[in-house]
Amino acid sequence: MRKTPVIEVKNLYKTYFMEGGNSQLVLKNINFKINEGEFVAIMGPSGSGKSTLMNILGCLDKPTKGSYVLDGYDIENKNDIELAKIRGQKIGFVFQNFNLMMKRTIADNVSLPLVYQNIKEKERYKRALQMLKKVGLLGYQKRPPSQISGGMQQRVAIARALVNNPSIIFADEPTGNLDSKTSDEIMELFTELNKQGITIVLVTHEDDVANYATRMIKISDGCKVYDGLRKDYSKEKETKC
Amino acid sequence: MLKAILKEAWISITSYKLRTFLTMLGILIGVAAVVMMVSAGQAVQLHITKSFSSMGSNRIFISPAELVTGGVRGARGLPSVTVDDVKALKELKGVKAASYEGRTAVQVVYGSNNYGTSVYGTNPDILEVNNSEIEDGVMFTQKDVKSARPYAVIGQTMVNELFGLQNPIGKTIRLKGQPFKVIGTVKEQGDGLFGNDMDNFIYIPYTTLRQRLAGSDRPQYVNMAYVVAKSEQEIDAVSKRIEYLLRARHRLKEGEKNDFQIRPMTDFINKVRNVGFVLSMLLAVIASISLIVGSIGIMNMMLVSVTERTREIGTRKALGAPNNWIMTQFLAESILISFIGSFIGMILGIIISQLAGTILGYEVPISIWAVVVSVSVAIIVGIVSGLMPALKAMRLNPIDALRYQ
Repeated sequence: MRKTPVIEVKNLYKTYFMEGGNSQLVLKNINFKINEGEFVAIMGPSGSGKSTLMNILGCLDKPTKGSYVLDGYDIENKNDIELAKIRGQKIGFVFQNFNLMMKRTIADNVSLPLVYQNIKEKERYKRALQMLKKVGLLGYQKRPPSQISGGMQQRVAIARALVNNPSIIFADEPTGNLDSKTSDEIMELFTELNKQGITIVLVTHEDDVANYATRMIKISDGCKVYDGLRKDYSKEKETKC
Repeated sequence: MLKAILKEAWISITSYKLRTFLTMLGILIGVAAVVMMVSAGQAVQLHITKSFSSMGSNRIFISPAELVTGGVRGARGLPSVTVDDVKALKELKGVKAASYEGRTAVQVVYGSNNYGTSVYGTNPDILEVNNSEIEDGVMFTQKDVKSARPYAVIGQTMVNELFGLQNPIGKTIRLKGQPFKVIGTVKEQGDGLFGNDMDNFIYIPYTTLRQRLAGSDRPQYVNMAYVVAKSEQEIDAVSKRIEYLLRARHRLKEGEKNDFQIRPMTDFINKVRNVGFVLSMLLAVIASISLIVGSIGIMNMMLVSVTERTREIGTRKALGAPNNWIMTQFLAESILISFIGSFIGMILGIIISQLAGTILGYEVPISIWAVVVSVSVAIIVGIVSGLMPALKAMRLNPIDALRYQ
């Protein structure tokens, strides 16, 4: 199978400009490609810039310098409305604290991204059920998320991330709020989805969680210090920032 | 897209039923108050206008001129219009009837019954002037007036108080000791504008009044004269003719002021209508203060809601919601709240004012413009008070919003 890049980051810089004229360079000269079907863990200590990188990759933020191409779309020249469209069509998000709407049914939560793509209600419901089946929660669609466990809530969030058939899924510390047993279940679900060909980018600081990924990108002090197979990683192989 | 946004907004506001209801309450009470107050004002207006109209809107009053001394309005001047003036007025073009009155208060006695009433010395045209008719018997004639016959035509209160179930026609009543023969009764007229009894009167020929009950050193002069125009449209023309004729008869020179005052009924009605309108407006303005308070309530709630739902907004944005969608949804929520609130308020206002009207026995009109104005004001209020929170929601940075705890 010919691998095509879903993500292509070239010479990417991000600077935060603060009040009083100070600025802080958060990301320095980041370069990498992520191909279709990969399972990548972005790691790094807190404050390293991995969240900023994740936000840029997720089209929630824009780089200060450098280029970022997502599935053929150059993000640089896009305005807010176009970015929202790209998020809605190309990206699935899974958050640490699930971010479900507690007053709505599980089916409503799963189908929410489709609302913004003007898909009819009947079709939305049908697709929500398909996704719930994929994450093993068929039968729970009429309930509110408050009636199910944390692990199940994260499954709902994963179903929501999958429902728009995205090119890539970004998971930001998806197991951060879960116990270790449930964490394993969620990571196994990600592995399963990856086997079905879905590209997954995971941000985590936990080694156990990162072990589920095949490739690892490590960020430290705003630089990429390691990019290679997860199983080959060792502290010694890190490059200097 | 709009349908989907409206649905999202609807689900959002129905998710917090109590809060939505309490927010709605402000606008609901505001609109209900406006509708009720305007209805009350209009009911008063309608009631007064109707009362005046029932007295006949094509009447013209002629009274002595007001005395003006040094710019101060004083009491009425001396009577200046005579019985002969009125006779001449009756011959004018467009005049249907002309009458006049002298009045005295008496205790009327029949057998062992007695009752306090007003005796009007007048001519037969008084029936036309008062828009009334003979129930039983006859009205006295111009001939009876000429020869000052002791005839009396009585109102229904007199009939009931003095005669009970007896037929009053042909009976003799006593006014100040003088015998009068009842020759007719007047149909019931009901209560007047101020709740006064319109059936408590006795009509006798003017000449009889002056000779037997209330003498005067100037018996030809009347306190009040009435002219009935043939139609309401002619009232202005007839008023002009009356002025011209009376000035000629009173030999007033050019530049000399009228020694009489002509006031058409339509003037009264218009004045009352204006007062009623101003009253309605005033009440509406007072009531609309509660609309303002209501709108502040909506703005307050929406601002809290945006803060409370910061994470939700961030999530929606991350999941592909464009900024204008977020803004429209929050705007739709506040418009829905104010629209539903004002709609219920409108219905409540109508129901309460109709109910009050029924209980108090007044006819209360449903003011279409009050309804339209208050509902559209409420919708504008919804837009205005929802705009700031909606813009706030729209401008939220998705990254910050997602991190919000």
